[in-house]
Amino acid sequence: MTGPHGVGIGWRPEIAGFVADLPRLRFVEVVAETVAPAGPLPAGLAELRGRGITVVPHGVKLSLGGAEPVDPARLAHLAGVAARVDAPLVSEHIAFVRAGGLEAGHLLPLPRSREAVAAVVANVRRAQAELPVPIALEPIAALFDWPDDELDEAAFLTEILDATGALLLLDVANVHANARNRGADPLALLDRLPLDRVAYVHVAGGADQGGFYHDTHTDPVPAEVLDLVGELCARHRPPALLLERDGHYPPAAELRGELDALAAAAGFPVVT
Amino acid sequence: MTGGDLAARQAELVAALVAGGPLPAGFAPAPVDAARRALLRKRGGDVARHWPLLAAGLGAAWPATFGGWAAGRPTNGSLRDGWDLARELRDRGTLPALGAEELAAREAAARYDGHRPPRPRRLPAVGRAGGAVAVQLAGRVRLLRPASR
Repeated sequence: MTGPHGVGIGWRPEIAGFVADLPRLRFVEVVAETVAPAGPLPAGLAELRGRGITVVPHGVKLSLGGAEPVDPARLAHLAGVAARVDAPLVSEHIAFVRAGGLEAGHLLPLPRSREAVAAVVANVRRAQAELPVPIALEPIAALFDWPDDELDEAAFLTEILDATGALLLLDVANVHANARNRGADPLALLDRLPLDRVAYVHVAGGADQGGFYHDTHTDPVPAEVLDLVGELCARHRPPALLLERDGHYPPAAELRGELDALAAAAGFPVVT
Repeated sequence: MTGGDLAARQAELVAALVAGGPLPAGFAPAPVDAARRALLRKRGGDVARHWPLLAAGLGAAWPATFGGWAAGRPTNGSLRDGWDLARELRDRGTLPALGAEELAAREAAARYDGHRPPRPRRLPAVGRAGGAVAVQLAGRVRLLRPASR
């Protein structure tokens, strides 16, 4: 099983038929929490595995950034899914999703503090001890910051990656969203990240709403995000790019167009 | 604001975002409020996937109906959130027919006390809501009578 390479797409049941029909597709990602480690895989996913297509489990509820130790049952589930799909690696987020017994329902940002670095590093090490494959960590899009940041984004991420040896799952749409909403320069962040540690890259659409850019995954990929793919590749081309779409699925031709645009921006073979 | 209190501060922040808690000190109100609304929209989308007929029955009113019900109310998971909302709309007399049929089918299929996760019914059962009647036999649910329209 090889690592992700070229252009891929996030596998979702709603677009399983579309994904199955992509003739040159080599890799997909699947939301780890939607797959049972024992028992049959979702039909479309089993077919992709049968064709030798790489499947990367992508966790969204591990809460690696939680102050408490990561839940062993959730970790065992992720490890089980990795084994089940013969994954070359798994990915999760630098974020927390629950605290004080309440589920936030989505990924929340951490304070960029030494205390938070220590909490993430401890949880990533717990994960690495249980996982059969390497883990790639994804920085998130955040609409707000904590008031007491000690580190900037690049230093915060680099400290975590250095301390854990984890790979980086870089989401250029998140880079765009964060820069837009904070009035920062996305290229300045790209220039300071360890791009040689990127296992693969996420690309997704978003929309402006209420004065903020929202990383919705339900809108088209904006030109600025595609431009960032080009800027990233000009610095250090990642091994793979993955399109994430999580709802309001467009007609197949439109989705194929987005995959082709990704391939063109990075100089990868088309998969459609 | 340093040293060993990350767990408490994370809990305060989540409470502010999903349980109507106060904004923790030092956070900018507008961005946190934007995040709170974004969480509600995402949660509404998740619940709509678990309760497609309820959401379709409400149509354009779904986001506001769900958002109004869910604001300040932490999630119990999409299945229970939709169930609780459907029951509340039923009690208010504003459950649309499609939602009533979906609720009747769910009530026939599983026992849900509003506090613990629903459990599949082992014995044949009838579910009713808004005039809709659904029957469950050996795990299979059929709508016997559509909701009044």
